[in-house]
Amino acid sequence: MISFENVGMRYGMGGEVLSDITFRLERGSFHFLVGPSGAGKTSLLKLLYLARRPSRGLIHFFDKDLARIEREELPRLRRRIGVVFQDFRLLDHLSAFDNVALPLQIKGAKRVQIADHVEELLSWVGLKDRMHARPATLSGGEKQRVAIARAVINKPDLLVADEPTGNVDPEMAMRLMHLFVELNKIGTTIVIASHDQHLVETIGAPVLSLDKGNMTYHAGGKPRDPDETGAQP
Amino acid sequence: MNLPFFGETPVFLPKDQAGDGLLPWVIGVMLFLTGLATAMGLALGQGLDRWSEGLATTLTVQIVDADEGVRARQTEDALKMLRATPGVAKAEVMADADVMALISPWLGDLPIDAGLPVPTLIHVELDKAGVVNTAGLAERLRATAKGARLDDHQAWMASILELVAALRLLLLGIVALIVLSTVAIVIFGCRAGLATHRDSIEIMHMMGAEDSMIASAFDRRYLLHGLVGGLGGIVMAILVILALLHLAEQMGQGLLTASLPGSGVLWWLLLLPVIAGAVTMGTARITVRRALLELV
Repeated sequence: MISFENVGMRYGMGGEVLSDITFRLERGSFHFLVGPSGAGKTSLLKLLYLARRPSRGLIHFFDKDLARIEREELPRLRRRIGVVFQDFRLLDHLSAFDNVALPLQIKGAKRVQIADHVEELLSWVGLKDRMHARPATLSGGEKQRVAIARAVINKPDLLVADEPTGNVDPEMAMRLMHLFVELNKIGTTIVIASHDQHLVETIGAPVLSLDKGNMTYHAGGKPRDPDETGAQP
Repeated sequence: MNLPFFGETPVFLPKDQAGDGLLPWVIGVMLFLTGLATAMGLALGQGLDRWSEGLATTLTVQIVDADEGVRARQTEDALKMLRATPGVAKAEVMADADVMALISPWLGDLPIDAGLPVPTLIHVELDKAGVVNTAGLAERLRATAKGARLDDHQAWMASILELVAALRLLLLGIVALIVLSTVAIVIFGCRAGLATHRDSIEIMHMMGAEDSMIASAFDRRYLLHGLVGGLGGIVMAILVILALLHLAEQMGQGLLTASLPGSGVLWWLLLLPVIAGAVTMGTARITVRRALLELV
């Protein structure tokens, strides 16, 4: 579904932050992206959620050559991608409900449909009582859950998450991972950047490891649902 | 708020108009000045048209012989000739009192029997403008009444027309400058708004919002700024013009009243807020779309 071949990326005239990256994400696959700070994880995620174009190399996105995709076509592709940002990037003047509703509004969903979906998902992430709260009044963990709800509300083909469990307690982290695994079961391709080695080992999915802009691949098994494995937080 | 014209688009900009709250006020001031300049320009044109139309269908004949008897005879002959001329609707001798009133600005209020040799004036009205060959008529008048002068007002009308044309050009220039300044202000306001809301715009962009969807949020905002600010400015301009008209009428100054815009012109001014809204919206759309192109 997504493939990178010898992809390099640099910001402006600076040196390459990613070098000769080659990997392939099959439809419905689940991968962790690990590496120390400054390894290039965020840059790779930016390429994955189409916020940047590579400086060199070939990227195929949903089986289309990214270099041949016109700018006007990109919004349609972006609507198939859910993103959880490390710093959440919620719109401060909108309520949790309205933030989560944005992807559906962009897609042109009906108002009733939006209300049902958003309420259901916010209930699921434990924020039913906080759905009309503004981000400024939410805790870090609550913001994280709103950001995740916003990323998955559209049932995206690809979910890209940057440290999605970094600000929540271990119990909520497992609950959120369960959500990702469930999404993965219905066909969503998932890439999660994480520093949490325990979480990576618990899920047991393949790992893309980045160091100084270079990637190595560690094969893993099918992602294990933390609920089914009985993993302890 | 979703306006029907813009469809059902997400409202992702804060309602508090951070960064561009002063814009409607600035547009209001600009439209106030534009309103006054436009009204004056239109009034000058309308007034001049009415005035020149009136003058183009009238002629004045002066019988200037110093001898009163000769003057009376020449006046009779000229009247006969004029009334027999095709295209002349009316030819009448102006009353002495009216003639004295005409020259009073130069000589002061003199009694009719002051002994001053005042020329006899014949007021001629034509069926319509240009129906009479004034050069030929002047020649025949001189043959009929030696020393008679025909004034078709064209000599001094030409100077006044030039002056009014220059004034209208000046007002047009002022309006153009104000419009350009407004566009520049909207561009700055829009860029400030873009900088303020950059994060929201990037998030919308990354969630798959099309440029048109993001730009339409700014379109709505700046259309409202233009309409609201413009309407405020134009209402103020209309109130000022109405106050001037009222003052002029109280003073009874015909010339002043004639050069002020009539109510017909005031209706035209109500179009300006709509134009202001279109200009601000168009400017915002171009500015935002250009800025969005910087994103991948």
